[in-house]
Amino acid sequence: MSKYSLLSQSEHAKLRVITERSADYGDNLMYAMTFPLEFRNIESCYPIFFAKDGESGQFYPLALFGFQRDENLYLKGNVWDATYMPLMVERNPFLIGFQQSPDIENGEKRPVVSINVESPRISETEGEALFSDSGEPSEYLQKTMENLQTIHRGHEQNKAFIAALLENDLLEGFNLDITLKDGSNNRLEGFYTINEEKLAGLQSETLGKLHEQGFLQAIYMVVASFSRVSGLIAKKNASLD
Amino acid sequence: MSKKISRLVIVGGGTAGWLSAGVIAAEHAISKAGDQQDNQFQLTLIESPDIKTIGVGEGTWPSMRTTLSKMGLSETDFIRECTASFKQGTEFSGWTTGENDNYTHPFTAPQGYNETNLAPHWQELQGRPRFDQAVSHQSVLFPDSRAPKQISTPEYAGTVNYGYHLDAAKFAEFLRKHCVEKLGVKHIKANVAAVNSAENGDIASVTTDSSGDIEGDLFIDCSGSRSLLLGEHYGVPLRSKKQFLFNDTALAAQVPYINSDDPIASCTLSTAQTAGWIWDIGLPSRRGTGHVYSSAHNSQENATAELLSYIERTAGAQAAADAEPRKINFDPGHRAEFWHKNCVAIGMSAGFIEPLEASALILVELSSNMIAEQLPANREMMDIVAKRFNDKFLYRWDRIIDFLKLHYILNRRQDQYWRDHLDPSTIPDSLQELIALWKYQGPWHRDTNHTDEMFPSASFQYVLYGMNFETNPSTTIRRSDRLGREAAVNLFQKNAKQRQELQAAMPTNRQLIEKINTYGLQKI
Repeated sequence: MSKYSLLSQSEHAKLRVITERSADYGDNLMYAMTFPLEFRNIESCYPIFFAKDGESGQFYPLALFGFQRDENLYLKGNVWDATYMPLMVERNPFLIGFQQSPDIENGEKRPVVSINVESPRISETEGEALFSDSGEPSEYLQKTMENLQTIHRGHEQNKAFIAALLENDLLEGFNLDITLKDGSNNRLEGFYTINEEKLAGLQSETLGKLHEQGFLQAIYMVVASFSRVSGLIAKKNASLD
Repeated sequence: MSKKISRLVIVGGGTAGWLSAGVIAAEHAISKAGDQQDNQFQLTLIESPDIKTIGVGEGTWPSMRTTLSKMGLSETDFIRECTASFKQGTEFSGWTTGENDNYTHPFTAPQGYNETNLAPHWQELQGRPRFDQAVSHQSVLFPDSRAPKQISTPEYAGTVNYGYHLDAAKFAEFLRKHCVEKLGVKHIKANVAAVNSAENGDIASVTTDSSGDIEGDLFIDCSGSRSLLLGEHYGVPLRSKKQFLFNDTALAAQVPYINSDDPIASCTLSTAQTAGWIWDIGLPSRRGTGHVYSSAHNSQENATAELLSYIERTAGAQAAADAEPRKINFDPGHRAEFWHKNCVAIGMSAGFIEPLEASALILVELSSNMIAEQLPANREMMDIVAKRFNDKFLYRWDRIIDFLKLHYILNRRQDQYWRDHLDPSTIPDSLQELIALWKYQGPWHRDTNHTDEMFPSASFQYVLYGMNFETNPSTTIRRSDRLGREAAVNLFQKNAKQRQELQAAMPTNRQLIEKINTYGLQKI
């Protein structure tokens, strides 16, 4: 159920967005894309891994919420039990896209905001208003626009970040085998992480370059985030009770 | 002290020359010119600026993935620069009866092939579905021209097994660039004017028209069908195999797609004609077609008409009107030996046979790999390595001839050419023996004499049972058959399920290639 239309005051003046968390609103996510700009916050709650986009095969970093499809171990009923909400989750039902702009030459594309008008979050009676009665963007919408701008910068940052990781062979595939307390064996497949051996072997020149790009800290935050896996396993075990 | 072997000279560019250069240079880690760490190994390739490469051999085996990867090439670059696509096997049309019959030989072995031979169980199946469909999931990808992998699949990895279709001229250029810029191969553009002998009969050097004498310890003859060193200089004769495989002429024509987004076929299409067959290889930019036939059974006029009719049927009247078939004559066969003194031939200088199972490039890969791996340490060792090389490749040529001939001897067509193929005097004894055996005991692992057979027994199965060959059920009940029956039921089910999954998951070749052009494939 996705139908995105360009956000406009004239067309969407009366729309409201339900910001409550629930599987009914599509929050039963196994993971969500993230980017170095928010790694510090992500790392305090979630393990960060990498996956390939199915459409392009390009790598992107993600925050992991569960071990199987549609499983979000942070979501309990209407509560998302974490101190930080990843921006890619928070932004729903909005999307930042790009449009060929007639007034910008050399084919540059400018960011435009779209809204999924078929999202179950859309309402005319409940939730946060998008526009005031006088047609001004609401505080909620302004905050959302800021988030979308950050996401846009995050996308751009990811491209450079991933390129730097690949250039230095810092990504590696891994399987995570987990034995749960009910004795079942589970395997998490298809994700990638930082190759710590390669990281430890980097020459100071490369490290300096990664630092200048602002990626060295991001890399170590990904490494540190691995310890969040045990918290996730604990949540999974708790869910078996 | 015997003379060290450290200076290799390849005579001839083209795919054979550059592929050999790349394989050998990558293994022997030639340092770049001027590097002080030089390990003294030198590889020089002399390419004539005047001779155009013949540009056939546009289909590869899956082994090409390993070959390219070992050379340090990126699959993304290869796909982009050689306008390559993915080849998953061959589809044979009209080879059995000539009346809308077809079967495929996919690169992926039948389900559970290591443990279970599905062929006898397939023969018992109700209604006898097509062999390639019952035992292989790969063939489900062919009708919609689907790819063997997804954009997220790493370079050189596949969900199913695959090789390539490529533009031979672009491929040679792609390899040349890599060999010269990355692998330290020295490239000399000159014509060889004379071959100079040493006292022991070895080639001491070749004299070029513009770069003087080039000395070497080992000379690799990649000069094409002219066989400049092995054939002309040493007079090693060609052993014709025309008595088994009659085809000696090819008419090749490039064909445009009707629409630029037409499907790119997943297989080489091989369509039987009255006295030969037409190949059809789909690249992203164009198709390469050709009619290979027996000049003793067909006139050039009639062969041309058959090719143009095929082009008209598959690419429209305009394409047929525009087609300019190029004629290539060849004597099917191979040299009596391939390595003589300090000279070894690779490619058409060693031999050439109709491209029915794309044996040209694989032979270049196998030959150059053996040279790279077993490069003799000194001149005395060379005669031993040469003998082993000759034994191995004579054996391989015999197997190629057996396997190609197999495609012809199960036909029920009426044309004289096809009847002649059934004449026992045109069938090698080794193949007659196999056929006799297979009537009672189908090919499986037990069939292979060598660990590195060119054609695995699975390939024989695909051709035999694709052409409705009957292996008699065993007259006694065996323990292994009883146990195998249960496994077979599961494997047939697994295959049916995997066919559905594959069909849903795989993009078309064109979709995947467009994505590779946009995003590239990941290395991991």
